[in-house]
Amino acid sequence: MNPVGTVAVVAQVVLACAGAPWLAGLMRQVRARLEGRVGAGPGQPWRDLRKLLHKQPVTATGTGPAFRAAPLVVVATAVVAAALVPLVSTRTPVSGDADLIVVVALLALGTVSLALAGLDTGTAFGGMGASREMTVAALVEPTLLMSVFALSIPADSTNLAAIVTGAVHDPARLATPTGLLAAVALVAVTLAETGRLPVDNPSTHLELTMIHEAMVLEYSGPDLALIELGAQLRLTVLLGLLASLFTPWGIATGTGAAALVLALVVVTVKVALLGALLAAAEVFLAKIRLFRVPELLAGSFLLALLAVAASYFLTGE
Amino acid sequence: MNAIAPALAAASGLAAAGSAAGLVSPERLRPALVGVCTAGVGAAGLAAGGAALGGQRWSASLPDLLPLAGVHLALDALSGLFTAVSGGVIVVAAVYGIGYSRQGPAGRGVQAVLPLFAWTLVMVPAGAAVSTFLLLWELMAASSLLLVVAEHRKRAAVREAGVWYAVMTHLGLVCLLIALVLFAARAGGETFPALRAASDTLSPAVRGTVFVLALAGFGSKADMVPLHAWLPRAYPEAPSHVSALMSAAMANLGAYGLIRTAFDLLGGGPRWWGLLAVALGAVTAVYGIVQAAVATDLKCLLAYSTSENLGLVLIGIGAALLFDAGGNCALAALALVAALLHVVNHAAFKALLFGAAGSVVRATGTRDLDALGGLRPRMPVTTALFAVGALGAIALPPGNGFISEWLLLQSLIHGLAAPGVATAVMLPVAIAAIALSAGLAAAAFVKALGVGFFARPRSAAAARAHESPPTMLAGAGLSAAACVALALVPGVLADGLGRAAAAAGLRGAGPTGGAGAAGGGPIGGGELRLRLTELSGRLAPLWIAAALVAAVAAVLLLVRALARGPRRTGAPLWACGAGAPTARMEYTATSFAEPLQRVFDDVLAPEQDVDVTPVRESAYLVERVRYQHRVPDRIEHRLYQPLLRLLARAGRAGRRLADGSVHRYLGYGFTTLVAVLLALVVTR
Amino acid sequence: MSESLYTQLLDLACGVFLLAAVLVLWRRQLAAFIRVFAAQGIALAAIAALLALHEHRWDLLGVAVLIAALRAGLLPRLMRGALTAGGETHESEPLVNVTASLLTAAALTLLAYAVTRPLTELAPTPATRALPIGLAVVLIGFFTLATRRRALSQVVGFLLVDNGITAVAFLATSGVPLIVELGVSFDVLFAVLVLQVLTARMRAAFGGTDLDDLRELHD
Repeated sequence: MNPVGTVAVVAQVVLACAGAPWLAGLMRQVRARLEGRVGAGPGQPWRDLRKLLHKQPVTATGTGPAFRAAPLVVVATAVVAAALVPLVSTRTPVSGDADLIVVVALLALGTVSLALAGLDTGTAFGGMGASREMTVAALVEPTLLMSVFALSIPADSTNLAAIVTGAVHDPARLATPTGLLAAVALVAVTLAETGRLPVDNPSTHLELTMIHEAMVLEYSGPDLALIELGAQLRLTVLLGLLASLFTPWGIATGTGAAALVLALVVVTVKVALLGALLAAAEVFLAKIRLFRVPELLAGSFLLALLAVAASYFLTGE
Repeated sequence: MNAIAPALAAASGLAAAGSAAGLVSPERLRPALVGVCTAGVGAAGLAAGGAALGGQRWSASLPDLLPLAGVHLALDALSGLFTAVSGGVIVVAAVYGIGYSRQGPAGRGVQAVLPLFAWTLVMVPAGAAVSTFLLLWELMAASSLLLVVAEHRKRAAVREAGVWYAVMTHLGLVCLLIALVLFAARAGGETFPALRAASDTLSPAVRGTVFVLALAGFGSKADMVPLHAWLPRAYPEAPSHVSALMSAAMANLGAYGLIRTAFDLLGGGPRWWGLLAVALGAVTAVYGIVQAAVATDLKCLLAYSTSENLGLVLIGIGAALLFDAGGNCALAALALVAALLHVVNHAAFKALLFGAAGSVVRATGTRDLDALGGLRPRMPVTTALFAVGALGAIALPPGNGFISEWLLLQSLIHGLAAPGVATAVMLPVAIAAIALSAGLAAAAFVKALGVGFFARPRSAAAARAHESPPTMLAGAGLSAAACVALALVPGVLADGLGRAAAAAGLRGAGPTGGAGAAGGGPIGGGELRLRLTELSGRLAPLWIAAALVAAVAAVLLLVRALARGPRRTGAPLWACGAGAPTARMEYTATSFAEPLQRVFDDVLAPEQDVDVTPVRESAYLVERVRYQHRVPDRIEHRLYQPLLRLLARAGRAGRRLADGSVHRYLGYGFTTLVAVLLALVVTR
Repeated sequence: MSESLYTQLLDLACGVFLLAAVLVLWRRQLAAFIRVFAAQGIALAAIAALLALHEHRWDLLGVAVLIAALRAGLLPRLMRGALTAGGETHESEPLVNVTASLLTAAALTLLAYAVTRPLTELAPTPATRALPIGLAVVLIGFFTLATRRRALSQVVGFLLVDNGITAVAFLATSGVPLIVELGVSFDVLFAVLVLQVLTARMRAAFGGTDLDDLRELHD
């Protein structure tokens, strides 16, 4: 048990939790500026959270434990995932158990609990959101695991620490077709999983188009704060995962404390950059119809499959 | 001391006692007596299987029990695993059945057959000769058939289900009969040791034939597409504890038969065996779960989910065959262990789910998810039990299904080490199939739980629902406990599973051997972690569950500490400014599955029918719109119906042969006899 | 150029080459087809140039320049002209929907891999290992021909097949002589010109370029 590793886990969880609203705020700000608006500033999501926490908690009539527990589960799964992903260090007490499939499955658990909460309300909105969310989640799964497969081939393991360490020591593997195709596929999946454009529009409230927002329509006050935080946290964790997998530089692979501090700064910059890039790209995208989403996911699945195929026919194993 | 023999003897005795009790005891006591005896059979099976898994072996030969062949029984770790799983499921179903039968199938016949069926489930894996095995197999099929048609007086659909099941199960038996008899004839002996010894001397053509026929025969029992046509009928129509037994115990035996034949008796085979099994498994898994995702009948959904899970098991078996053919024994053992663990997990959560579904049917009188809802406040324990089972079925942590699917994925992901183009092409396809089925399973069970149990009741029947009697809850609770145990500490099974894989002929320690007696399996790691011994990979289900609980608690405390608002209050649902939303505004199971159904339009080919009746005066004013929508089983539609039509046509043509004249019938017999004699003369 | 850099660049060029073919199935805008096709032409030229540098065969550089000029310059320009003349901007609903097309492309790629494996094993070099990509592009091009309706999509499909064949030739033989490539290029150019004339005629006769309209000629 190395103390630095423990500190690293705590640090990355705290960083993810504290940074998630800032990331969301940054993305909104980038978007606002590109669209010619002034924007509310990157601190706005934090102010929103504080405001919501100070409101009276309200439970919709007829709802049960599934409705009450879902916000907690969403945040908890994202927190556990944030602890497992090697954001700042690959030598932590949990890195041996940080399996990529587990991280993916934990985030999916959050989705499932939210969908159940949506159905628990018994409103048309809740059901609609849950139905659409589960449809997208079900179709995302093959792409996700195929990308996992592609990434695990060079490291011969699905362990995140092993994959990242391997990439740090052999950066050339990132610039192969396998690495690039897997990256594109994972980005598409991340968009779908976090409800960003073009799959879902996080700022819409039109019943014809919304997915995530329809599901959480009944939440208010502190519960809504948790839901918002959970969504932001998931985005942060997934972007952090992308950053760790495809730009692993700066992640501490030893047990030194200095490397850890550096890694914290580097990961913050990387995730902020990725978020800004995503927000900038979203300006140019329109939401696609729900029934065009399978096309997007089939395309990303194809890319992930090509990543796998390329890894074995180009390396000649 | 060997515990297997007394345990199996006890099982036989208790089964006989149970059957007798079912026949003679008064109706009031009957369910309890039969239930206790059947639970005893299960417990004895569990004990015998557990002992075999612990490393004991037992075999017996009773030459005088049956004429000609005698009876040969044996229990090793592989059959022990399946005996133990059957035993566990039987205990659950029997305890559950006590309460269930009180208001339902308490008739003499049904109650007398139940212990017999339970006994065959325990004994089939112990059959160690072709004749014994097939005899037990047929007994199992016949007794399950009697139980399926238990409620035939209540519903007409039961009869149809019975006919389908009887035909399909016997077609399967014919395949098995040909396969095993051919094998035995070529091997020159019918006991399993004789078959094992002779398997290397057989020609590849014979081995291939035996494998394909065995795959078809055992596959039809294990709900393999396209031989699954009986399943969406028989499982829903059978009484729920019988559904649980069939789905969670009997279907497994198909997997057992395949493993026994392919690995142990035939000793593995060429690569195409594995490819065939993986391909069929992938198709079964995806087709099954797509059907489950759009099903609106609760038990039908569970039935199709059984098909999916056994498809995953089949993928594991096929992958093991594939890796074994490629000479990678460690990987083969891992794939097989993953398949076996999935059998155990599936049995645990499916017994639970069928139990909970049975409680729902009992309480509301309907299986239609579109008419359910609002059961959570009315049946809180059943809802909680169903939720535990659903968590296992959706293959997400901290559920138990996740662990076996993780192992299966690990074996496939590392499988690129195995040589061969076909392997390299098949593995990504198999992984995609597993992933898609996991995703769709999540959708299917969110639908089952969210629509079936949450929100407000969609019919008067659902509104009148009430909690089930304690024995039913206790039975389901037992399997819930098993699910939780399997989800948190799967490591305790590692050694037993390793032994079972070794009994199938896969040592797991690689060609060099050298693994000790204790840690010989492909997975290890005791209570806290699951570790792949040959590959890098580790999973800590207990820690993940603990971390999740801790995180939930931390978040809860933090919110409590930070929140400044007044105390929690209730408020009506948002209905866009209209009055309180009614049940008709709720999403139903059909509407929940609609997007998925549209995505899989090409696979499912749903039938829609819109019938608009205009008023008489004007074609533009509509009086009535009738909308009909059905998702038929497409394979049945495309494969079975034409076949059945063909058979019917042949039958009608054959009717001309029978014109009622007795002389003509005798003439047929005479001509046939002479023809056979002539053929004998010519060929000799 | 070091061996590993060569391998990596070649793989990347092949990856772009295949990706372009996939994008043709994915996109619906006809203008996007032309852009994607031009990108594929550049990737093909890059493959030729890389082979030239690696094998020190300087005539191949000429081939690369020729390919870039023809497939990334002239042909896209011709097609763009046809597009603006036609006024159609989108592929109408293809015979096989996009999702199924993409999954089919996945299956075709795996098939190409399985088929070319024995060839690769004869002489496993970085170039021959990329053979499946060439064949996959041929198959995807053929699939495009079989399932897309618009005449321009047909032209692009045809050109995909040709690009694929050229790539296979390059990768299998480490570059074809300049004279052969010249001949092939003229062939392709003529084919495209003929198709363009045909398209114009179709538009004059039917008012659109949906190939299914040709069925009317049968009567």
